[in-house]
Amino acid sequence: MRNFWPAAISNRPTMLYEKSLRSGQNIDFDGNVVILGDVNPGAEIVASGHILVMGSLRGLVHAGATGEEGATVTALHFAPTQLRIASHITRPPEDGNEDISNKPAETARIKNDAVVIEKYEAPK
Amino acid sequence: MGRVIVITSGKGGVGKTTTTANVGTALAMLGKKVVLVDTDIGLRNLDVVLGLENRIVYDIVDAVRGNCRLKQALIKDKRLENLYLLPAAQTKDKTAVTTEQMVELCEKLKEEFDYVVIDCPAGIEHGFKNAIAGAEQAIVVTTPEVSAVRDADRIIGLLEAAGITEPKLIINRIRTNMVRTGDMMGVDDILDILAIGLLGIVPDDDAIVISTNRGEPTVFDDNSRPGRAFRNIARRIEGEDVPLMNLEEKQGFFGRLKHMLKAD
Repeated sequence: MRNFWPAAISNRPTMLYEKSLRSGQNIDFDGNVVILGDVNPGAEIVASGHILVMGSLRGLVHAGATGEEGATVTALHFAPTQLRIASHITRPPEDGNEDISNKPAETARIKNDAVVIEKYEAPK
Repeated sequence: MGRVIVITSGKGGVGKTTTTANVGTALAMLGKKVVLVDTDIGLRNLDVVLGLENRIVYDIVDAVRGNCRLKQALIKDKRLENLYLLPAAQTKDKTAVTTEQMVELCEKLKEEFDYVVIDCPAGIEHGFKNAIAGAEQAIVVTTPEVSAVRDADRIIGLLEAAGITEPKLIINRIRTNMVRTGDMMGVDDILDILAIGLLGIVPDDDAIVISTNRGEPTVFDDNSRPGRAFRNIARRIEGEDVPLMNLEEKQGFFGRLKHMLKAD
């Protein structure tokens, strides 16, 4: 079996949520979270593992919430209000009114003690 | 010791949040240390109107429950040094905070700030009771509509019953041309019914829509008519005697021509 995510995290239980998450709705899960839908502004996901959004991510997400620095956040359209991984917190730049509709899927992870957002690439 | 002022209306959509953001910002522009408190738990908006949404880490529920220190939940405005926001929680509901906790919170905040301005949720239930619990003064916002004025009247009664006497009135979204043609309630009609002190009138203007969507209070814009109205309101709160502004819309040549033709 290919090693897609770092083992300790990916072996945790995974929740599949088959709807969009609207403002005021939240998911708090000890494990990985996969959303088949959008995450709107005002919605919140807190997971101890990875977070994968098969739609637009516009809300707040916290991956690796119990301190797991290897956790990642991936979304087809990546525009979170605020992004947290383990103890890192980032927010988009102030002039951030960019059009996300034509951007490729992106992944956020911690590299050299900073949150880095890169184009998603399928693991080889 | 600072002043704790609640901004309320009863009816939704009349401009409580816009008023809170703009009056609070205008007071901070006058050099006062101001904190804006969003008590609309579950339907928070004030952070969005101020453009501070993406900075929220802790909220009012965290602060009153001791999940964080009060200072950690206060978000400093990105434009003004002396303006702070205490955001509401979005994923909880109004019962997450008790009235006793609100009183205690306001007591703490007014030691630190000159003005504690509370944005009240619509309605007269738990959220309203929380919002007014720690307040000493109230500003009632209404629009020139019979339904909004009716709700404002109910709110004034409830405020008085709760010991907040002499609330002040802001009439929002006035359209002078409609008042002139008799299609909209005028300032005097509203004051006739509500019989409380008038703090200011704010014209209906596209600038509000633009500033709300941008997350930038309209008081920063020198050319904005509602911005000017809100700055005047802040000066009146500070005790200055500022005359009501002339709301007559500037008419271009064609507007004047049309008006002349109508008069005939």
